[in-house]
Amino acid sequence: MDDSFELEYADELDALDIVNDEDVVPPPYSPPKSKRSLVFATPKEGRVKANSLAQDDKQKRPKSMLVGLTPPSSPEFDPVDDIGNRKRLQSSPSTEGDEIDGAVMDSQMSTSNKRPRLTEENCLQSDVDMSADAAVDFIRQYRGAKGLQRSDARDAATLVKNDLERPKVHKHIPKGDFMSTLGYEGQRVYMQLWDEDVLESELSSFEKDSRHLNLLPTPVCILKEQIEDLHTRKVIEEADEIHESLRRQLDTMEDDECIGIDETSETNDNGREKEKDDIDILSEELKSLWVEKYAPRKYTELLSEESINRSLLHWLKLWDYVVFGKDVPKPMKKGANKLKKEKEAPFKNKKFLSEVAEQLDKHHRPEQKIALLCGPPGLGKTTLAHIVAKHAGYNVVEMNASDDRSVDVFRNKIESATQMKSVMEADPRPNCLVIDEIDGAPAPAINVLLNLIKRTDVDAASEKKKKKKEELLLRPIICVCNDQYVPALRQLRQMALILNFPQTESSKLASRLHEVVKLERLKADLNALLALCERTDNDIRSCLNTLQFVRQNHKELTLRDVQTMSVGQKDSQKSLFSVWNDIFTMPRPKKNRFVSIHDLAEGKQDTLQVNNISPSARFQHILDMCQAAGETDRVMQGIHENYLEAKAKDPHLFGLNIANDWLCFSDCINQYIARNQDFSMLKFSSYLPVTFHFLYATYNPSRVQFPHEQFEAKQKQQKTLNLLNSLLSDMAPLTQKFTNSTSLTLDLLSPMLDILQPTMRPVNTQLYSSKEKEDLSNVVNIMIAYNMTYHQEKTPDGQYVYALDPNMEEVIKFPGSKQRKQLTYGAKQMIAREIALEKMRRAENARTKEAKAEVLPTTPTSVIEKNKSKSTVPNHLQKLEAKSIVPQKASINFFGNLVRTKREKNEAKASEAGEMKQDKSKRELLDTVIWFHFKEGFSNAVRRNVKVEDLL
Amino acid sequence: MSLWVDKYRPASLAKLDYHKDQAAHLKKLVEGGDFPHLLVYGPSGAGKKTRIMCTLRELYGPGVEKLRIEQSHFTTPSNKKLEISTISSNYHIEVNPSDVGHNDRVVIQELIKNVAQVNQLDTSTQKNFKVVVLTEVDRLSKEAQHALRRTMEKYMATCRLILCCNSTSKVIPAIRSRCLGLRVAAPTIDEICQILTTVCKKEGLTIPREMAEKVAEKSGRNLRRALLMCEACRVQQYPFNPERDVSEPDWEIYLRETATLIAQQQSPKRLLEVRGRLYELLTHCIPPDVIMKGLLKELLQVCDGQMKAEVVQNAAYYEHRLQQGQKAIYHLEAFVAKFMAIYKRFLEEGIADIF
Repeated sequence: MDDSFELEYADELDALDIVNDEDVVPPPYSPPKSKRSLVFATPKEGRVKANSLAQDDKQKRPKSMLVGLTPPSSPEFDPVDDIGNRKRLQSSPSTEGDEIDGAVMDSQMSTSNKRPRLTEENCLQSDVDMSADAAVDFIRQYRGAKGLQRSDARDAATLVKNDLERPKVHKHIPKGDFMSTLGYEGQRVYMQLWDEDVLESELSSFEKDSRHLNLLPTPVCILKEQIEDLHTRKVIEEADEIHESLRRQLDTMEDDECIGIDETSETNDNGREKEKDDIDILSEELKSLWVEKYAPRKYTELLSEESINRSLLHWLKLWDYVVFGKDVPKPMKKGANKLKKEKEAPFKNKKFLSEVAEQLDKHHRPEQKIALLCGPPGLGKTTLAHIVAKHAGYNVVEMNASDDRSVDVFRNKIESATQMKSVMEADPRPNCLVIDEIDGAPAPAINVLLNLIKRTDVDAASEKKKKKKEELLLRPIICVCNDQYVPALRQLRQMALILNFPQTESSKLASRLHEVVKLERLKADLNALLALCERTDNDIRSCLNTLQFVRQNHKELTLRDVQTMSVGQKDSQKSLFSVWNDIFTMPRPKKNRFVSIHDLAEGKQDTLQVNNISPSARFQHILDMCQAAGETDRVMQGIHENYLEAKAKDPHLFGLNIANDWLCFSDCINQYIARNQDFSMLKFSSYLPVTFHFLYATYNPSRVQFPHEQFEAKQKQQKTLNLLNSLLSDMAPLTQKFTNSTSLTLDLLSPMLDILQPTMRPVNTQLYSSKEKEDLSNVVNIMIAYNMTYHQEKTPDGQYVYALDPNMEEVIKFPGSKQRKQLTYGAKQMIAREIALEKMRRAENARTKEAKAEVLPTTPTSVIEKNKSKSTVPNHLQKLEAKSIVPQKASINFFGNLVRTKREKNEAKASEAGEMKQDKSKRELLDTVIWFHFKEGFSNAVRRNVKVEDLL
Repeated sequence: MSLWVDKYRPASLAKLDYHKDQAAHLKKLVEGGDFPHLLVYGPSGAGKKTRIMCTLRELYGPGVEKLRIEQSHFTTPSNKKLEISTISSNYHIEVNPSDVGHNDRVVIQELIKNVAQVNQLDTSTQKNFKVVVLTEVDRLSKEAQHALRRTMEKYMATCRLILCCNSTSKVIPAIRSRCLGLRVAAPTIDEICQILTTVCKKEGLTIPREMAEKVAEKSGRNLRRALLMCEACRVQQYPFNPERDVSEPDWEIYLRETATLIAQQQSPKRLLEVRGRLYELLTHCIPPDVIMKGLLKELLQVCDGQMKAEVVQNAAYYEHRLQQGQKAIYHLEAFVAKFMAIYKRFLEEGIADIF
């Protein structure tokens, strides 16, 4: 019964509880067990009560009938209803009127009664059922006790009824006033109309009689009341029970929400819960992460550095004009402030903050269109973004790495977030887009964002045209990332307000943790918490998670726990610069603040020893860091380029040798890995930085430079190689065969450049002696053979020079080596011209040689004269000839015999004659004297083949 | 008209100036009509390629000198397009597979198959095999070398391979055993002098004996270099003046200066300076082993007898490492650092002895 009840009412109960438990007015009669216990039972009780009362007021009968009629077994016990059932006119209420026939009355009665009953049933059906059932039970019990009495009473009752019944319906016309109607079987019956007085008196006498009869020891109305009372009590009890269990669940939820705010209720609840099992509480409490539970809700609760919070908020406020139409706070005052601030802490500002640019652009937007929050994980960047945006009156729309970030989706989301506003929901605030973990987004997606920002700047003019497509960015966008130096973010950084998150102050964090710990009833002293902060690098999230983890098993957190704990350690990835810095920096000895007195008393000397400057700790630290950082190649390069700058005591250079041996070793390992794709060797490369740390760590290291030498060297080498290849690729085959790039650089080029610079008089070549001419031609020949020439170039200062092409000077020239003797500008120019001429000559030679080679074999055989004529006929004599008809392929019939058509026969004859003629005419044309016609204005009139050699 | 090196390059085996008995052997080998695969090795400037060319001419006649350059295209299994230039005549094809880097295996396989699968049409007038000349075999990757060894046997009927390299140390033994090794040693100083004199005579010049010796010394028994230097001298100044310095390549001068820097001071700072110079050399495509060798040569001059052994030993160690490793700069620098340590110790001991 209870279960079914609970099931049936689960929904309603929930709804009721959630809506309001306090507001419901408790009914006056209910036992005031507890405030909450009444919560769910009262409304129904009240309603039932009210209903019944109202009905009682209106008409007494229907109400009693209502109670009596519903269950099938009940009517017999209710005398009044019994009478009604038997269609006694007397039983019907007086208001119905006397003239109405009993049967009609009855039917009317039943319908009129039924309607309220039904409605009642609809809303409270089960409730009524309940009460009815309870009543039945009660009555049955009662009956068992008073069985005899009841049966007697029954007999008596029927007697009376029969007695009363007799004069009502007559088969014949009665005396006095009457009314005719139809009886059960359709026969006509008559009913005597009584006087009202008579009826009344009769009724009263009957009532008197019935009371007098005393069928039950207690009157029905009292019984009913009792039943009702019993029922309500039972229901209340049940409700109480259910509520209690419900409340327990709700409380835990509630706690999560309100613990940060109202501590009092928390403690109250705790007080009650203490009775229950500890495990029980824990399991309930752990249903939510502390990280969620204790996340700051307000601007004032933020743990991050005040200046950062403020500048972000300030930036966000700069949008006010665009977004809300409000005036932006006066920049003048701020400027003064800024000056003051800069005076106070110039370093701090430079380090952490890029200043918020105060100026607004022509669209009244801030200069920096987006804010970029960057810093290691767990410092509350996302939280800050959300809270500040909320604080400034925005509706936060978040995008993070878990969303699809393909270009299209990204664009859609950005546009929908920045240009639209939710209409359906009640939240009328403008959107502020928070793009979380933007450093993981693909570069094209970031470019979309970039375009959105840029476009608004540049396209202001062309805006009119494509206004539809390209909307201005009118909403602030806050981006959050861990590593601002991701290549994809490079361009974005330039136009963003970059807020670098420094680490949260340990003390601040520890005090907040202390609060949390207090609320969670976890014993922990501040020292332990500080140690925890230290260990997690002030990562709030990590701290809270660790604490929650500890809470699950123990009730307290001690310093030793923190120190021995294997949790809470982050495998955090550091930037390359911090890795290099750590390698070259000797860690400062830290006061071991976290040794408790107990430890000292117990002689825990080892904990003292294991501080951060002991060799083993340093070893482990560097090793861990390098393994986490990865990029062994880059780390190695950085070390290589910086270790020689480090100041280290090394009088015998032994350290230098060790260091270099390690470098060689690592290089060999890298080569092995690359060649065999066997990455199991990679683990050894993390030991290289450790070695360097021990060799070269100092307390104040010089600034670590980013390694670029290797890259530059590689680029230069590539350039040289390209030059050599371009030289080699077009060399004459015979010279190419005997050279390669190595021999070029090592042996050939250096002397050759000397050879190419004989002393030349700056006079016309025509005046050269034969020896000089020989020299010149020698140079030209060599340069052609080795695919070199002089090429005119313009120097930056506007002078023209001739340089070797490809520029071999570059290949062999070293810084500091003596300047080579250079040919004069004129000589170079001459050589360049000679080379060009010589090349043309050679090309011409090759062509004529080819032509000769073609001609020579043909001359003796006059058969192919046609061929010859073709090659020698000058252009202007060449005629367009009709395409000769290709003789049809002889058709062969099915049996393989030739089939000759008539047309073919004719053609054969004709073509033979024609060919003879053609040949003849051609020969004639060639043999005759050629006349040139000069046609003015027609370039094709005279044409002659002129060879290059004729001109030279 | 061209450089003396090209101009006076002997064209036939009979005209070779030195290693005449070897030339005779080659001639006999070719006269037999058939010969095994050849592996020609020796220092650069010793005349390996000249010898190969002479052999080919002996084999096929002057037709081999009609050379043409062709670009061959290959596709790797990963669909990467490779392009390599080959020098070929009707009878042979010469290629440097290491030009394509680590994809040389594909070139080896495809190219030799292409050549070898085509039989000569007219075997009566010609040899029934073609020759494939592979240069810089020591720069071939191991995979390519392994690919080569089976191909060598498989296509024996239609093609012969002539491999050319500086040192056999990087050629796998399997290939070495399949070839007839032919070592072309560098010419002696005397031989170089001889050649220089004859060349100058042909040019109508006279070269004093001292001058020829000086050039030969400077060239480091590299005939190509000797001839080029001689010609350069001739251009700069004729008649030859034995008193005058023969100009050296810039990189050698630079390397010598570097060595001097190392000997002057031994400190991390100096090492940093030296590193810059080493980078400079590397970017000018000077092979690291040449740098190492040059450095050692220069540094040994400042060393004592006892120390020499130690330095050489270390140089050998680091050069070995250099061959195994990836980035030459580390190993060169390590050698320099090692030398610095040794030299510094030596100096300090010397000073201690004095007092």
